[in-house]
Amino acid sequence: MMYFMFLFGFCFVFWMVGVSCNPSPYYGVLSLILGAASGCGVLVSVGGSFVSLVLFLIYLGGMLVIFAYSAALVAEPYPIGWGSLWGVVYMVVYVLVIIGLVVIGHWLWGTEGFGHITVDAGGLCVVRLDFSGVSWFYYLGNVIFLIAGWGLLLTLFVVLELVRGLSRGVLRAI
Amino acid sequence: MTPLHFSYLSAFIVSIMGLSLHRTYLISTLLCLESMMLSMFIALSMWPIQLQTSSFMLTPMLMLSFSACEAGTGLSLLVASSRTHGSDHLQNLNLLQC
Repeated sequence: MMYFMFLFGFCFVFWMVGVSCNPSPYYGVLSLILGAASGCGVLVSVGGSFVSLVLFLIYLGGMLVIFAYSAALVAEPYPIGWGSLWGVVYMVVYVLVIIGLVVIGHWLWGTEGFGHITVDAGGLCVVRLDFSGVSWFYYLGNVIFLIAGWGLLLTLFVVLELVRGLSRGVLRAI
Repeated sequence: MTPLHFSYLSAFIVSIMGLSLHRTYLISTLLCLESMMLSMFIALSMWPIQLQTSSFMLTPMLMLSFSACEAGTGLSLLVASSRTHGSDHLQNLNLLQC
């Protein structure tokens, strides 16, 4: 199980490399979606089942869906794929960066081997730490809860003003 | 360094490199910004779980809500750029160029 959960961590880094070297935004959005799914697997392995579900719902289902639809604004008839020369060059550069980080990390701090201890080695629970930790929002963090909600409402009006067309829009270089 | 912590560290570094070395589109920059937020969310979630301090679980939730605000603002700027210039190529954003 330790090595299976290590595979989620490896897939997370792999898809993040795919996001950074995207030759076309379509492949970048796809890599980000699969990287978020692998990140959810990483969070589940250490016991954060609630934050993993929050990541799936809010991040994947809310924000990345908007990104996928906005990628339609950059539609071009022949998108460059990962098999082209530029895509391969960028991917090789990022993989070399990761290998360099591994080497530097081993030289500075030492490697403790592959795999990590998963949370079920300590026993099963009904409600884990992340689920009970978010409930602090309603007692100790009530002020920041209201401020975050006000900030989200403010963002709605900010977006409304930014995409207003006709006479009061932004980025008017004309 | 355990492989778990190394995974989000290297994801963050690679995303920062992708943000700074993007090529033609504004949306590629926004995607790398989102991947930075994703790796930061995983890092901030793993910290209270491994140290068993439950009150620090507020941090990833707040970070996710403000990251949603920032993603919405970035995408509205993308739409504004697409409306003005017809596309979101970064070479169109050259008003400050001498």
